[in-house]
Amino acid sequence: MQPYQDSVLHQLRRIRIWYAVLLLVSALFVIRLFYLQVIRHDYYQKAALSDQLKQYQIPAERGTIVAHSGNATAPLVLNETLYTLFADPQYVKDPWQTARKIQDVIGGNPQDYEKAMRKDTRYAVLAKKLTKEQRAKVDTLQLKGIGTREAVYRTYPQGQLAAQLLGFVNDEGLGKYGLEQALDKDLKGAPGMLKAITDAQGVPLASNRDNVQIAPTPGKKLVLTIDLGMQQQLEDILKQGLESAKSQSGSAFILDPNSGAIKAMANFPTYNPAEFYKVSDPSLFTNGIVSAPMEVGSTMKPLTAAAALDQGVVKKDTTYYDPSKFKIGDATVTNIEEDGGPGTRSVSDILQLSLNTGATWLLMQMGGGEINQKGRVAWHNYLTDHYQFGKKTGIEQGYEAEGYLPGPTDGFGLNIQYANMSFGQGMAITTLQLGAALAGVVNGGTYYRPHLVDAYIDGSGKEVGNRPLAVKTGVVKSDVGNTIKDMMEYVVSKNYLTYGMQRPRPEYSIGGKTGTAQVPKPGGGYYEDRFNGTFMGFVGGDKAQYVIVVRVNEPKIGGYAGSKAAAPIFGKLANMLIDNFSVTPKGQ
Amino acid sequence: MSRQRFSNRNQNTTNFQAQEHALGPVSNTIMLIILACLLGLLYLTQVTKTNAFSYKIDALQKQQTQLKSEHDDLEVASARLQALERVKNSEVAKNLVSVAPSGTVQN
Repeated sequence: MQPYQDSVLHQLRRIRIWYAVLLLVSALFVIRLFYLQVIRHDYYQKAALSDQLKQYQIPAERGTIVAHSGNATAPLVLNETLYTLFADPQYVKDPWQTARKIQDVIGGNPQDYEKAMRKDTRYAVLAKKLTKEQRAKVDTLQLKGIGTREAVYRTYPQGQLAAQLLGFVNDEGLGKYGLEQALDKDLKGAPGMLKAITDAQGVPLASNRDNVQIAPTPGKKLVLTIDLGMQQQLEDILKQGLESAKSQSGSAFILDPNSGAIKAMANFPTYNPAEFYKVSDPSLFTNGIVSAPMEVGSTMKPLTAAAALDQGVVKKDTTYYDPSKFKIGDATVTNIEEDGGPGTRSVSDILQLSLNTGATWLLMQMGGGEINQKGRVAWHNYLTDHYQFGKKTGIEQGYEAEGYLPGPTDGFGLNIQYANMSFGQGMAITTLQLGAALAGVVNGGTYYRPHLVDAYIDGSGKEVGNRPLAVKTGVVKSDVGNTIKDMMEYVVSKNYLTYGMQRPRPEYSIGGKTGTAQVPKPGGGYYEDRFNGTFMGFVGGDKAQYVIVVRVNEPKIGGYAGSKAAAPIFGKLANMLIDNFSVTPKGQ
Repeated sequence: MSRQRFSNRNQNTTNFQAQEHALGPVSNTIMLIILACLLGLLYLTQVTKTNAFSYKIDALQKQQTQLKSEHDDLEVASARLQALERVKNSEVAKNLVSVAPSGTVQN
């Protein structure tokens, strides 16, 4: 029995030893797991999440911009996905051969590609704006170390059309100039976010309840007040007109005086917004109509007459003796020689003959017969409170200027300065401010905020109309507005030959006023031989339907810049509107 | 004769009790482990099933993105084809004859 008992005892001991070993090993595992899972919990959780938890920002789609085209709309600015070709030079074995293969597919200079691929970097951009087809061709080459990356760009199906009022989006995605700058917030929307546990390929796993997905809010789509056909014709006519006047630059716009909606607006020279990076002169980016204040010259006279008539200090049939010059302090206000010298004049004559002395006389009437503080304050009140000069109009454009108006009570030489202001010198306003003020006069007395956006459409397709905003009512009394309309019509009917315009069609009302202003020198004073010409006017039937303002900078043809350079462009624009854009004739 | 009668005679009575078949601790443990395993399996099946949907969702999202991209490309192409400059330079436009305005028809 003894050997059997010994054997059993031996086995029991072995079992106990193994049991102890097992316990020990288990204990080691438990301790290790406790250490890893409890004590180092945070560390390993972080490490795991850094691999599995992905956080992406989902970019918002920038809003597109469309314009009216008849009864429909047509796109002016869209988004296009293009591709950036890049290299990781560490993986490119033969830069020259790789460069040649790339050149075969996308063109360009292989030396440039090779140079980029020899840089000491991990990311070298070889080309931008590759099309989908080009990208596919590059992909089929399967070049080691070469890749493509998606990038969204603004694209302009209408090319250069309306470039300066649209602006552009720079490489950082910021709207610059024009609408893109002024409405950057509305256009860019808000990016979304995706925070999720993903698999090795980065696919978000739906089972994680802590996943966060916030959809991006796309930018608003803008429907402009611009009419595409009218814009194209305005640009063509402006360009031809500037060429005829031998002028390097100019601008024009068409405004609906009954709502403040801009129907067409252009500057020349212009640029291609899709290639804004090629422009060396940044002044090309600016929309001079809203950002370049100037002395508007005699185009101010209808507004001076309107102010005097509205105050009741003159009547539409009032006549006066014009001495052809007024001495104010040390300075003398005179007229141009063609105005015929001293004589009895009416208010209509002041506009038709463009009498500086006439405008000065109107200012005198505001002061009770002389230029004094009362007259200056009254005139200043009309300029700022009625015509809204010296303030930004609020149009949806970047870099809008407010202009400059001297105060009526402080400073030296205010009487001559205000006399100058009565015929548009000694103060600076933008042509948009000028056109908006005229619109407020000829529409019967309501100043509408000039605007370019007709409606905003959000991501869900909800359209919010941009209603006309009446900034000021009672700009002038409606009968004063009608009187000014008649007087401006009289100006055109008497001067259309001088203006190089075709005879005004009797069934329509076409009125206007020229302005020729000397170009101011940077240090003060004026150039003797450099002039800017402007023409502002309206076209319509019984009601003014469109207000047009044209500016021609330093034309190199003979005659007054306003009548010889700007007026013919106005005439063509007025006829273009009558022929193509349903101007309602008189009596209808 | 009733049982009561026998008891009165001090005779032994038999106590009948139903036999209870209770599970032992080992069986209970094993069953719990099996249950836990089943629950775990169920959980894993559901998680796997849900995650399988992730791939479907991902594929659908990619398809949506691709379709959107194609739509955008077509929109751009369509807009370019209808651009005023292109229309103006087209053969049809070149063959058009300009006419002078002939006035307005009035009723």
